[in-house]
Amino acid sequence: MTRSSIVSLLAFSLILPLGLSAQTAAPDLTDPEVAHVAVTANSIDIDLAHYAESRTRNTDVRQFAATMITDHSAVNAQAVALATRLGVTPADNGVSRSLVADAATARTSLEHVRGRQAFDRAYIDREIAYHQAVLDALDGLLIPTTDNADLKALLQQVRPVVAAHLGHARMLRTRLGA
Amino acid sequence: MTLRLAFCAGLLLTMSCRPASPAPRRYVVEIKQMAFVPAVLTVGPGDTVVWINRDLVPHTATATGATPWDTGPIAAGDSSQVVVSLGGRSPYACALHSTMQGQVIVR
Repeated sequence: MTRSSIVSLLAFSLILPLGLSAQTAAPDLTDPEVAHVAVTANSIDIDLAHYAESRTRNTDVRQFAATMITDHSAVNAQAVALATRLGVTPADNGVSRSLVADAATARTSLEHVRGRQAFDRAYIDREIAYHQAVLDALDGLLIPTTDNADLKALLQQVRPVVAAHLGHARMLRTRLGA
Repeated sequence: MTLRLAFCAGLLLTMSCRPASPAPRRYVVEIKQMAFVPAVLTVGPGDTVVWINRDLVPHTATATGATPWDTGPIAAGDSSQVVVSLGGRSPYACALHSTMQGQVIVR
Protein backbone atom coordinates (compact mmCIF):
# COMPACT_ATOMS: atom_id res chain seq x y z
CA MET A 1 0.00 0.00 0.00
CA THR A 2 1.41 3.38 -0.96
CA ARG A 3 1.76 6.29 1.42
CA SER A 4 -0.92 8.17 -0.49
CA SER A 5 -3.37 5.30 -0.30
CA ILE A 6 -2.71 4.84 3.38
CA VAL A 7 -3.47 8.44 4.15
CA SER A 8 -6.45 8.41 1.79
CA LEU A 9 -7.85 5.40 3.63
CA LEU A 10 -7.50 7.15 6.96
CA ALA A 11 -9.25 10.23 5.66
CA PHE A 12 -11.92 8.12 4.00
CA SER A 13 -12.72 6.58 7.36
CA LEU A 14 -13.33 10.02 8.74
CA ILE A 15 -15.58 11.29 5.96
CA LEU A 16 -17.77 8.20 5.65
CA PRO A 17 -20.24 9.26 8.32
CA LEU A 18 -20.47 12.71 6.85
CA GLY A 19 -22.32 11.89 3.68
CA LEU A 20 -20.46 9.16 1.85
CA SER A 21 -21.39 5.49 1.91
CA ALA A 22 -19.10 2.49 2.30
CA GLN A 23 -19.73 1.68 -1.35
CA THR A 24 -18.37 5.01 -2.49
CA ALA A 25 -14.85 4.92 -3.89
CA ALA A 26 -12.21 6.69 -1.84
CA PRO A 27 -11.62 10.16 -3.23
CA ASP A 28 -8.43 10.74 -5.15
CA LEU A 29 -6.63 13.31 -3.05
CA THR A 30 -3.06 14.29 -2.51
CA ASP A 31 -1.52 13.55 0.85
CA PRO A 32 -1.63 17.19 2.01
CA GLU A 33 -5.29 17.39 1.01
CA VAL A 34 -6.15 14.16 2.78
CA ALA A 35 -4.42 15.33 5.93
CA HIS A 36 -6.53 18.48 5.78
CA VAL A 37 -9.68 16.38 5.38
CA ALA A 38 -8.78 14.29 8.42
CA VAL A 39 -8.20 17.30 10.62
CA THR A 40 -11.34 18.98 9.28
CA ALA A 41 -13.53 15.94 9.92
CA ASN A 42 -12.41 15.66 13.53
CA SER A 43 -12.71 19.39 14.08
CA ILE A 44 -16.27 19.38 12.75
CA ASP A 45 -17.37 16.81 15.31
CA ILE A 46 -15.60 18.66 18.07
CA ASP A 47 -17.32 21.89 17.01
CA LEU A 48 -20.73 20.21 17.12
CA ALA A 49 -20.01 18.99 20.63
CA HIS A 50 -19.17 22.54 21.65
CA TYR A 51 -22.46 23.68 20.16
CA ALA A 52 -24.30 20.94 22.04
CA GLU A 53 -22.68 22.09 25.27
CA SER A 54 -24.06 25.57 24.64
CA ARG A 55 -27.60 24.28 24.06
CA THR A 56 -28.12 21.49 26.53
CA ARG A 57 -28.94 21.76 30.21
CA ASN A 58 -28.85 18.00 30.64
CA THR A 59 -25.88 16.94 32.75
CA ASP A 60 -25.48 13.62 30.95
CA VAL A 61 -25.62 15.18 27.49
CA ARG A 62 -23.16 17.85 28.55
CA GLN A 63 -20.78 15.20 29.86
CA PHE A 64 -21.16 13.19 26.66
CA ALA A 65 -20.34 16.24 24.54
CA ALA A 66 -17.30 16.95 26.69
CA THR A 67 -16.11 13.38 26.21
CA MET A 68 -16.56 13.71 22.44
CA ILE A 69 -14.40 16.83 22.50
CA THR A 70 -11.70 15.14 24.56
CA ASP A 71 -11.67 11.86 22.64
CA HIS A 72 -11.94 13.23 19.12
CA SER A 73 -9.23 15.72 19.95
CA ALA A 74 -7.04 12.81 21.01
CA VAL A 75 -7.82 10.90 17.80
CA ASN A 76 -7.20 14.07 15.82
CA ALA A 77 -3.81 14.36 17.47
CA GLN A 78 -3.03 10.85 16.28
CA ALA A 79 -4.09 11.75 12.73
CA VAL A 80 -1.89 14.82 12.83
CA ALA A 81 0.97 12.76 14.20
CA LEU A 82 0.57 10.32 11.35
CA ALA A 83 0.57 13.13 8.82
CA THR A 84 3.67 14.55 10.46
CA ARG A 85 5.45 11.22 10.30
CA LEU A 86 4.55 11.06 6.62
CA GLY A 87 5.84 14.58 6.05
CA VAL A 88 2.45 15.90 4.98
CA THR A 89 1.41 19.56 5.30
CA PRO A 90 -2.41 19.80 5.31
CA ALA A 91 -3.87 21.64 2.30
CA ASP A 92 -7.44 22.82 1.87
CA ASN A 93 -9.39 21.07 -0.87
CA GLY A 94 -12.83 20.36 -2.25
CA VAL A 95 -13.59 17.46 0.05
CA SER A 96 -12.75 19.51 3.10
CA ARG A 97 -14.94 22.32 1.84
CA SER A 98 -17.75 19.83 1.20
CA LEU A 99 -17.42 18.48 4.72
CA VAL A 100 -17.61 21.97 6.14
CA ALA A 101 -20.73 22.65 4.05
CA ASP A 102 -22.37 19.39 5.19
CA ALA A 103 -21.55 20.19 8.78
CA ALA A 104 -23.12 23.61 8.39
CA THR A 105 -26.30 21.96 7.12
CA ALA A 106 -26.38 19.58 10.09
CA ARG A 107 -25.68 22.45 12.43
CA THR A 108 -28.51 24.48 10.90
CA SER A 109 -30.86 21.53 11.31
CA LEU A 110 -30.02 21.30 14.98
CA GLU A 111 -30.33 25.05 15.39
CA HIS A 112 -33.92 24.81 14.21
CA VAL A 113 -34.79 22.24 16.85
CA ARG A 114 -36.82 24.00 19.52
CA GLY A 115 -36.87 22.91 23.14
CA ARG A 116 -33.98 21.65 25.20
CA GLN A 117 -35.21 18.08 25.45
CA ALA A 118 -35.92 17.91 21.73
CA PHE A 119 -32.44 19.24 21.06
CA ASP A 120 -30.85 16.67 23.34
CA ARG A 121 -32.63 13.86 21.51
CA ALA A 122 -31.72 15.25 18.08
CA TYR A 123 -28.09 15.68 19.01
CA ILE A 124 -27.74 12.20 20.44
CA ASP A 125 -29.62 10.71 17.47
CA ARG A 126 -27.07 12.31 15.20
CA GLU A 127 -24.21 11.01 17.31
CA ILE A 128 -25.61 7.48 17.20
CA ALA A 129 -25.87 7.60 13.41
CA TYR A 130 -22.40 9.12 13.14
CA HIS A 131 -20.64 6.53 15.27
CA GLN A 132 -22.57 3.62 13.78
CA ALA A 133 -21.47 4.69 10.31
CA VAL A 134 -17.85 4.92 11.43
CA LEU A 135 -18.03 1.52 13.09
CA ASP A 136 -19.52 -0.07 9.97
CA ALA A 137 -16.80 1.46 7.85
CA LEU A 138 -14.07 0.25 10.21
CA ASP A 139 -15.38 -3.32 10.35
CA GLY A 140 -16.50 -3.73 6.76
CA LEU A 141 -13.89 -1.84 4.85
CA LEU A 142 -11.09 -0.11 6.62
CA ILE A 143 -9.53 -2.63 9.00
CA PRO A 144 -9.87 -5.68 6.69
CA THR A 145 -8.39 -3.90 3.71
CA THR A 146 -5.53 -2.14 5.43
CA ASP A 147 -2.09 -3.64 4.87
CA ASN A 148 0.07 -1.06 6.57
CA ALA A 149 0.78 -2.30 10.09
CA ASP A 150 0.88 1.15 11.67
CA LEU A 151 -2.38 2.25 10.10
CA LYS A 152 -4.10 -1.04 10.91
CA ALA A 153 -2.98 -0.70 14.53
CA LEU A 154 -4.29 2.84 14.67
CA LEU A 155 -7.65 1.85 13.18
CA GLN A 156 -7.88 -1.06 15.60
CA GLN A 157 -7.25 1.34 18.47
CA VAL A 158 -9.87 3.76 17.17
CA ARG A 159 -12.52 1.07 16.75
CA PRO A 160 -13.21 0.41 20.46
CA VAL A 161 -13.32 4.16 21.06
CA VAL A 162 -16.03 4.50 18.44
CA ALA A 163 -17.87 1.45 19.77
CA ALA A 164 -17.79 2.85 23.31
CA HIS A 165 -19.09 6.19 22.06
CA LEU A 166 -21.90 4.40 20.27
CA GLY A 167 -22.80 2.39 23.35
CA HIS A 168 -22.65 5.49 25.50
CA ALA A 169 -24.87 7.40 23.07
CA ARG A 170 -27.42 4.59 22.93
CA MET A 171 -27.62 4.33 26.70
CA LEU A 172 -28.04 8.07 26.90
CA ARG A 173 -30.68 8.12 24.19
CA THR A 174 -32.71 5.52 26.10
CA ARG A 175 -32.61 7.68 29.20
CA LEU A 176 -33.74 10.72 27.20
CA GLY A 177 -36.94 8.95 26.19
CA ALA A 178 -39.21 9.52 23.22
CA MET B 1 3.41 10.96 35.07
CA THR B 2 2.15 8.45 37.54
CA LEU B 3 -0.43 9.66 40.00
CA ARG B 4 -0.18 8.23 43.46
CA LEU B 5 -3.48 8.28 45.27
CA ALA B 6 -4.59 7.02 48.63
CA PHE B 7 -8.12 6.92 49.98
CA CYS B 8 -9.33 6.95 53.57
CA ALA B 9 -12.28 5.24 55.23
CA GLY B 10 -15.16 3.43 53.63
CA LEU B 11 -17.44 0.53 54.40
CA LEU B 12 -16.67 -2.05 51.76
CA LEU B 13 -13.50 -1.61 49.74
CA THR B 14 -11.46 1.23 51.16
CA MET B 15 -8.37 2.95 49.97
CA SER B 16 -6.28 3.64 53.06
CA CYS B 17 -3.93 6.43 54.00
CA ARG B 18 -2.06 3.98 56.22
CA PRO B 19 1.44 2.94 55.22
CA ALA B 20 1.55 -0.09 52.97
CA SER B 21 1.94 -3.50 54.58
CA PRO B 22 5.50 -4.87 54.82
CA ALA B 23 5.15 -7.09 51.78
CA PRO B 24 2.37 -5.65 49.67
CA ARG B 25 1.64 -7.02 46.27
CA ARG B 26 1.22 -4.86 43.21
CA TYR B 27 -1.56 -5.58 40.73
CA VAL B 28 -1.95 -4.00 37.33
CA VAL B 29 -5.22 -3.30 35.55
CA GLU B 30 -4.62 -2.41 31.95
CA ILE B 31 -7.07 -0.06 30.29
CA LYS B 32 -7.09 -1.06 26.65
CA GLN B 33 -9.63 -1.19 23.87
CA MET B 34 -11.98 0.77 26.12
CA ALA B 35 -12.09 -1.92 28.81
CA PHE B 36 -10.50 -2.71 32.19
CA VAL B 37 -8.35 -5.84 31.93
CA PRO B 38 -8.95 -7.76 34.10
CA ALA B 39 -12.44 -6.47 34.69
CA VAL B 40 -12.61 -8.19 38.08
CA LEU B 41 -9.53 -8.17 40.32
CA THR B 42 -9.16 -9.86 43.71
CA VAL B 43 -6.50 -8.43 46.03
CA GLY B 44 -5.52 -8.44 49.66
CA PRO B 45 -5.49 -5.64 52.23
CA GLY B 46 -2.45 -3.42 51.76
CA ASP B 47 -1.97 -4.36 48.15
CA THR B 48 -1.58 -1.74 45.45
CA VAL B 49 -3.68 -1.57 42.31
CA VAL B 50 -2.25 0.29 39.34
CA TRP B 51 -4.37 1.31 36.37
CA ILE B 52 -2.35 1.81 33.20
CA ASN B 53 -4.08 3.58 30.31
CA ARG B 54 -2.99 2.06 27.00
CA ASP B 55 -5.82 3.67 25.00
CA LEU B 56 -5.74 6.77 22.81
CA VAL B 57 -8.11 8.67 25.09
CA PRO B 58 -8.17 9.56 28.81
CA HIS B 59 -10.00 7.41 31.34
CA THR B 60 -10.77 7.23 35.04
CA ALA B 61 -11.38 4.45 37.53
CA THR B 62 -14.21 5.82 39.64
CA ALA B 63 -16.11 3.95 42.33
CA THR B 64 -19.81 3.48 41.65
CA GLY B 65 -20.61 1.74 44.93
CA ALA B 66 -21.23 3.04 48.42
CA THR B 67 -17.62 3.98 49.08
CA PRO B 68 -16.40 6.88 46.94
CA TRP B 69 -12.94 6.78 45.43
CA ASP B 70 -11.61 8.10 42.14
CA THR B 71 -8.29 7.99 40.35
CA GLY B 72 -9.15 11.17 38.48
CA PRO B 73 -8.33 11.47 34.79
CA ILE B 74 -5.60 9.12 33.58
CA ALA B 75 -4.12 10.44 30.35
CA ALA B 76 -3.20 8.15 27.48
CA GLY B 77 -0.01 6.35 28.40
CA ASP B 78 -0.26 7.43 32.04
CA SER B 79 -1.10 5.47 35.17
CA SER B 80 -2.62 5.91 38.60
CA GLN B 81 -2.46 3.70 41.65
CA VAL B 82 -4.28 3.15 44.93
CA VAL B 83 -3.45 1.23 48.08
CA VAL B 84 -6.23 -1.06 49.21
CA SER B 85 -7.34 -1.89 52.72
CA LEU B 86 -10.16 -3.74 54.47
CA GLY B 87 -12.35 -6.14 52.57
CA GLY B 88 -15.33 -6.28 50.30
CA ARG B 89 -16.34 -5.49 46.78
CA SER B 90 -16.10 -2.17 45.06
CA PRO B 91 -17.59 -1.76 41.59
CA TYR B 92 -16.14 1.02 39.52
CA ALA B 93 -16.46 2.55 36.06
CA CYS B 94 -14.80 5.07 33.81
CA ALA B 95 -16.51 8.38 34.53
CA LEU B 96 -15.93 9.42 30.91
CA HIS B 97 -17.12 6.21 29.23
CA SER B 98 -20.03 4.65 31.08
CA THR B 99 -19.80 1.36 29.20
CA MET B 100 -16.44 0.62 30.86
CA GLN B 101 -16.96 -1.16 34.17
CA GLY B 102 -14.84 -3.14 36.60
CA GLN B 103 -14.71 -4.44 40.14
CA VAL B 104 -12.07 -4.74 42.86
CA ILE B 105 -12.61 -7.45 45.45
CA VAL B 106 -10.59 -7.32 48.65
CA ARG B 107 -10.18 -10.64 50.42
